[in-house]
Amino acid sequence: MDIIRIKNLNAGFPTKRGLVRAATSVDLTIREGECLGLIGESGCGKTVLGMTIMRLLQPNTIISGEIFYKGQNLLALKEEEMRKLRGKELGMILQNSTTSLNPVLSVGDQIAEGIILHEGLRKKEAREKATELLEKVQIKNAAVMSKRYPHEFSGGMRERAMIAIALACSPSFVIADEPTTGLDNRTMKGVISLLAEVAKSKSMLFITHDLAAASEICDTIAVMYAGEIVEWGDVDEVFSAPLHPYTSGLLNSLPERGFIAIPGSSPSLIDLPGGCRFKERCACSEERCARAHPLMKEISSSHKVRCHRYD
Amino acid sequence: MSKKNLAMSVSIAIFAIYLLIALFAPLLTPYDPFIIAGGIYEEPSPEHLLGTNDLAQDIFSQLIYGTRATLLLGFTGAILSVSIGTAIGIVSGYYGGRVDEFITRTLDIVMTIPTFPLLLVMMMFFTPGIYVTGILMGLLGSARGVRVIRSQVLSIAQMNFITGVKVMGASDLYVMAKHVLPNLLSLVTVQFVFSAQHFMVMGIGLGFLGLGDSNVIDWGQMIDRAYQNGGVINGLWWWLIPPGMAVTFLSLSLALFGYSMEDEINPRMKLTRI
Amino acid sequence: MIEITDLKTTFSTGLFKKHTINAVDVVSLHIKKGETLGLVGESGCGKTTLGKTILRLVEPSAGTICFDNQDITRLSMREMRKIRPRMQMIFQDPDSSLNPRMTVAESIAEPLRQAGTKKQEIPKRVEELLTLVGLSLEHLDRHPYELSGGQNQRVVLARVLALEPDFIIADEPTSALDVSVQAQILKLIRDLKDELGLTCLFISHDLMVVRHMSDSIAVMGQGKIVEIGTPDEIFESPSHPYTKDLVSFAKNAVLPYKKESK
Repeated sequence: MDIIRIKNLNAGFPTKRGLVRAATSVDLTIREGECLGLIGESGCGKTVLGMTIMRLLQPNTIISGEIFYKGQNLLALKEEEMRKLRGKELGMILQNSTTSLNPVLSVGDQIAEGIILHEGLRKKEAREKATELLEKVQIKNAAVMSKRYPHEFSGGMRERAMIAIALACSPSFVIADEPTTGLDNRTMKGVISLLAEVAKSKSMLFITHDLAAASEICDTIAVMYAGEIVEWGDVDEVFSAPLHPYTSGLLNSLPERGFIAIPGSSPSLIDLPGGCRFKERCACSEERCARAHPLMKEISSSHKVRCHRYD
Repeated sequence: MSKKNLAMSVSIAIFAIYLLIALFAPLLTPYDPFIIAGGIYEEPSPEHLLGTNDLAQDIFSQLIYGTRATLLLGFTGAILSVSIGTAIGIVSGYYGGRVDEFITRTLDIVMTIPTFPLLLVMMMFFTPGIYVTGILMGLLGSARGVRVIRSQVLSIAQMNFITGVKVMGASDLYVMAKHVLPNLLSLVTVQFVFSAQHFMVMGIGLGFLGLGDSNVIDWGQMIDRAYQNGGVINGLWWWLIPPGMAVTFLSLSLALFGYSMEDEINPRMKLTRI
Repeated sequence: MIEITDLKTTFSTGLFKKHTINAVDVVSLHIKKGETLGLVGESGCGKTTLGKTILRLVEPSAGTICFDNQDITRLSMREMRKIRPRMQMIFQDPDSSLNPRMTVAESIAEPLRQAGTKKQEIPKRVEELLTLVGLSLEHLDRHPYELSGGQNQRVVLARVLALEPDFIIADEPTSALDVSVQAQILKLIRDLKDELGLTCLFISHDLMVVRHMSDSIAVMGQGKIVEIGTPDEIFESPSHPYTKDLVSFAKNAVLPYKKESK
């Protein structure tokens, strides 16, 4: 059973310099209970993809395609119907930053908000539930901490609070957008194991550029480059035997693989090159890479790639 | 206590005194400010602390009652203008895009109309009472605050927690009321204090120009009367100076309070102001 | 090149009750000419403060800092200004390290002008520096917001190198960047260091990065240096429990998959 099915999704923002094509014909599915890791460099369009599912992009964004959640097309819903799904059915864990929580509200109140909104609980009951949630995300002294304000929380605790907010109404699908960015190793480890715990009981889209974290949490991996999915498959296959040259390049630039950099930089999303979008940085590019845009090709039932080498 | 705290405490203390005087005016005044309380043009004496005017009214009692009119006018105007300004500013900054464009352009036009002269013209035609004057001031002055609020909202709207609340399934109205507004409170307070100050001084100006509500006493009208009826020529300082001083101190205390609040919000501004 | 003895930096906070925090708590370090010392520790351990104290961007409360056999701890601000160009710092966030209103060319020309480079030579030097950090001439007229984080960090590097420093402190120069871009920038810093014979203090929370970049590693925890050693010593036989912790976390954060066979 697919919980999320994205079909031929395109998203673009008109700007003064031209249309920024943040997502080009994206096809992805996430099965019930599965955690899909979406990896890629910043600016490749992965955050936009998450926001498109939540339908929280600027109003002038041009979107085409379909996103099915449990069989209903989210892009066809009215804003009001969508609002009922957000937080209740579709949870989202935002990137940790100093502005990810409202500085003038206590953390407990911010967790309670969603519960009040969707489940119609009274303030007092919602607050109690918020404290339980804080306990669940392993914040010590939850009863005291829920009355505290965001600036009294450390980075790791803030991220845990964000997880609690996302889980408040027990949604069945959760999007986590770079939840481990900016945390140091010790805190990150805790947050990752918490997320792995969450991933066990929920379907999840885990957006990250941290490959090690993705390997720990996800069941499947989709690699995004310049607005399109270039490789998609089972986590073990993608990381141990990557097919796309970009995926191997990413893996090789990890510290433990000796920091071998991919030369050059990603193309601008305004001015995308024809043919293969990775050809200029690719060691094995051929003449046909410039000529034809490669299509997604199924190599096995659990592994797909967009590269001419496998034609 | 630091300098800033001192400034704030002093200004609050002065303002509190004014507020108490306004509230308890009937208890503090020896005479009804409208009645004939003695002879005309009496000099200050234990019976009439600041003497009497050309109508034999007690100037001290008038001064005390004048506090009410000034504060009332300032606050009516400020409440109205800040509420309107904040509401429009939030909507403009939060939605951005075309809504923002429309509001900003409209404001650009509205701002070119000089408020005080327009107010003068309206007052001459309608001779409104003190409440209506306050409302008129508030309406005409609301454009000033919109920009400041809007630019602050623009930056708040960019913050991640706003996205967070939307992700939670909250409506725009909810986000604006529960998350944007609370983050603006200190700025709104500053706006409120400065516009109150502005409107109080403006109200006194109107009184002085003979456009005040003749059913109430305000310091502007007192000064005007002193001018018209020989208070200046005869050097009756007790008639002229006290209302002038009352205005100055009130205005100063509000300005001081506003500035120290502003410093509190934005520490970088301390350097730019001497 | 750099000799730090018993350095201490204290901050006091609180309006009414004074709290004192020893951000740097009696630290001694030395870096030989042409070497890179990696300084590793978790956020809030005082490593950034130590870096700033060495450059006297923060005043030390005790101890001495010797730079090139000269005690710079007690130099006046004017004397310090003469030495400053020889010691430079690269910060974490490249986007905010550049003036958003300046083009790349203006940004790089600014330190050159300050260093008193002749006006007619500036454009040539700017171009040299630009190629040195791996950017091309087409970037000259761009503004920071038109460039990626990695490209901006290259511009920051060019600005720093314009002053021809002997000693560079790099404070988490790549932690805001993606892995692939991080690899590029780290390679660039290494190459430049070898080419120009720079002495470097490389500050990072990422032990893997520090290991890759440094000749020796100092581990810092709560304001103190708890262990100093070569990268291999620190990784293979850490002695202090705090170091052991860090090493095990770092090893855990590694991708568990073997390098591809192909």
